[in-house]
Amino acid sequence: MNSLKPLLIRTLQLALVLWAVVTILFLMFRLMPGSPLAAYIDPTFTEEQQEALIRQFGLDKPLWQQYFTYLVNLLKGELGYSFRYRAPVAERIWLLLPNTLILTFSSLIVAYVFGILAGAWLAWRRGSRVEVAALPVVLATRAMPEFWLGMVLLAIFSFSLGWFPAGGTRSAGTEYSSLWALYTSADFLSHLALPMLTLAIYSQGLPLLLMRSNMLDVMKEDFVTMAKVKGLSSYAVVVRHGARNALLPVVTSFAIAVGYQLQGNVVVESVFSWPGLGRELVAAVLASDYPLAQGAFLMIAIVVIAMNLIADLLYTFLDPRISHA
Amino acid sequence: MKTFFKIAVGAALGASFYATSVSAQDPIRTIHLLSRPQAAQPAEFQAIQLIAQEWRKLGLDVEVDVMPWSQMANAVWYNRDDWDVTAWQMTGRPERSDPDEIIYNLFHSSTADKGYNFIGYNNPEYDKLVEEQRVTVDPEKRQKLVIEAQKMLDADQPNMMLVHPQQAFAFDKTVFDPATVVDQSGIGIRSYWTWLSLAPTGEQKDVIVNSSDNVIAVNPLYISGVTDNWLTELIYDRLYRVGPDGLPTPWAAEGHEWRDEKTIAVTLRDGLKFHDGNPVTAEDVVFSYQATTGGEAPMYAPFGQNITNIEIEGDNVIVFTLATPSASFLTSSLAKINIIPKHVWEPILADLSSKEENAESHQEEMPIGSGAYKFVRWLPNEEIVLEANADHFNAPKADRFILRIVPNAEAALGMLRSGELNFLTDFQGDPQVLITAADEDGDLQVVSTVDIGFRYVAFNLRRPPFDDPAFRRALSSAVDRRLIVNAAFKKFAVPSNSVVSPALEYWHAADVVDGFKAGPDVAKSILEEAGYGGVGERLAYPEGVSETLGK
Repeated sequence: MNSLKPLLIRTLQLALVLWAVVTILFLMFRLMPGSPLAAYIDPTFTEEQQEALIRQFGLDKPLWQQYFTYLVNLLKGELGYSFRYRAPVAERIWLLLPNTLILTFSSLIVAYVFGILAGAWLAWRRGSRVEVAALPVVLATRAMPEFWLGMVLLAIFSFSLGWFPAGGTRSAGTEYSSLWALYTSADFLSHLALPMLTLAIYSQGLPLLLMRSNMLDVMKEDFVTMAKVKGLSSYAVVVRHGARNALLPVVTSFAIAVGYQLQGNVVVESVFSWPGLGRELVAAVLASDYPLAQGAFLMIAIVVIAMNLIADLLYTFLDPRISHA
Repeated sequence: MKTFFKIAVGAALGASFYATSVSAQDPIRTIHLLSRPQAAQPAEFQAIQLIAQEWRKLGLDVEVDVMPWSQMANAVWYNRDDWDVTAWQMTGRPERSDPDEIIYNLFHSSTADKGYNFIGYNNPEYDKLVEEQRVTVDPEKRQKLVIEAQKMLDADQPNMMLVHPQQAFAFDKTVFDPATVVDQSGIGIRSYWTWLSLAPTGEQKDVIVNSSDNVIAVNPLYISGVTDNWLTELIYDRLYRVGPDGLPTPWAAEGHEWRDEKTIAVTLRDGLKFHDGNPVTAEDVVFSYQATTGGEAPMYAPFGQNITNIEIEGDNVIVFTLATPSASFLTSSLAKINIIPKHVWEPILADLSSKEENAESHQEEMPIGSGAYKFVRWLPNEEIVLEANADHFNAPKADRFILRIVPNAEAALGMLRSGELNFLTDFQGDPQVLITAADEDGDLQVVSTVDIGFRYVAFNLRRPPFDDPAFRRALSSAVDRRLIVNAAFKKFAVPSNSVVSPALEYWHAADVVDGFKAGPDVAKSILEEAGYGGVGERLAYPEGVSETLGK
């Protein structure tokens, strides 16, 4: 029972955070200057049509009533109807979420595998010329804007060398019998390559630097000295004793990185015409499509919050010394 | 220090004395000029900066307020009394090939309250003129009236017309025979007619085009967006089409006959078939027209509103009775309303009639029309695939029409060069970049066309000093339009002084544009003649007129 209580408190806290997010989202879009009817201004658009649209969008009701309806619908699991698509928001989100997830996770996995290995190696080669040369490069990749990096990769690998296609998830007009057939096709992977690489280059810095500094700390610990004294091979010292212990915070940072990555997707999806949630979000905000924009933001917020929870839980699981008691 | 202070005070006193001596007349308040941001509308933003600069030379105190479209729409459209001057635009569309929509809706006093006459233009003489052209079915008589209306607008200058932009599109001439590309008047090579006649010369049989906007819906009863319209016009037939010359031409109809000025009989073409194999009958046509005014398709309602009765004679003659005679009926109704299958939509509309949603929220899994292309599949925000309808009376030469969604303009150009696209139908970047790229590449051909649409600066005629035609004319003639064309539109535009584009040769009043004199001196002399004070220094109202709208 005692072990459940902290979890319960944590969940309640998260619910509170979620409620705050929902409220801020609701107010943010409605306080933003501009009208969702702007997209329909046209010489043939009559007054009755404008009023009908306002009613249909539910914008004729007072703000508090709109807010209340919104909350009640959310509790029922309904995200509302998109103004532009005239379709349920949830439907739009589910259509596009898989594309975003596959881009996010493939790039993060590449970034973390590379970052962890390179970080451990750089720690091992501490003070060498390689390390001196590599660190500024890593810091530079952290500082590069993603859209810029994306455009550079496009210019080099797509437009100059012609190695990779420039946009979309597949060649024009190709059809696949299933999602699995699509995801395992060379066509899809070649389309995924550049956006994935852009995000991976941007995100490998965090695990790399984290791994390196953890390794440097761990390598000073007594048990490592002990291992060295025992006469173990360098491989055994670095990998089995050092890296395993240094890995812990890196693993949990993965969960948090998922949240950051979802934000980065907004830009990268636009550069590479990737049909994901990020691009939809931008389009929805520009068109004052409140329900869709709220739904997409909420989705991202839920993933970020859930990932934070997972990171917390992973800590306790991986390192029993840490507890919430 | 003390001497400096004395000089400063003396100068200030002198200045204020000078100011009062000039302004026995009341100075005009600071004028707010609205523009959309540079990032979204570079040409508009640049043009507005130039205009503000020229107006300041006249002595007007101008402040440019930059805001995104949705905010501007709010400030201008929904708060009609509160703004001074704003940049605005009208986009070109095939059904605007008839001048009625523009010369009527934009300036008739009946639309001033809530409709498109947001500037508040009210001229009974003009009202009469545009009402008359609307019901004049004889083209030659109507032409005179339309030209007369343009002259009246020139004299009144309710808007400061800037330019008709030129749209540039490009295609790969190694994939398609350039002789089969159709440059539709006022629309360009991205036209319905191109998609039918475009002939592939090699292995690549698919037309692959791009759009920077997502497709919202493929729905014959919902006007959901410009890009979406490219698809619906291919999937659905209409009785008439706006032809390459801008005039209506029979399509699913064989022809028409005006029985009197309110009755028109249209003969349906034989042998038309929907994509599911069912024949297109006169009942389907009647159903399609009734659907627009049945309450479930509000955006199409204005195009069907004038029809009071539809009857079928024999097998294939459809007789429309109109409430008022309408000269633009062929273009604005017959070439606009999609023919939809009754057997598909009747149950859908019946089901919707008891619900809150209307037909706009009904997205068919597989839209069925009778058009030259059939719907195949839709990957949201990525691509839409249509295939040629070989049974159509005007079957396309290409195999498929594939629309790719590409939000990034540079990427779209790169894709055109690499073959991922072969027809660039949407380019948001600098047209000069496109031309340079085409020259470098060698395989690309760029075609630019003067648009039906236009860019202008709208004056709020409800607010002084813009209620004075002389003042409007002065501001309008302060700026040489060639400056706007060259500096803001990088030469991809033609100067304008009429809402009817030169692309609509038959209706356009060329004299109005050619005879328009502009330059700072012209503007100054108009102001002085009209009694404005402080010209070139601090512009003030004529004697006896005072500022009523704040400082």
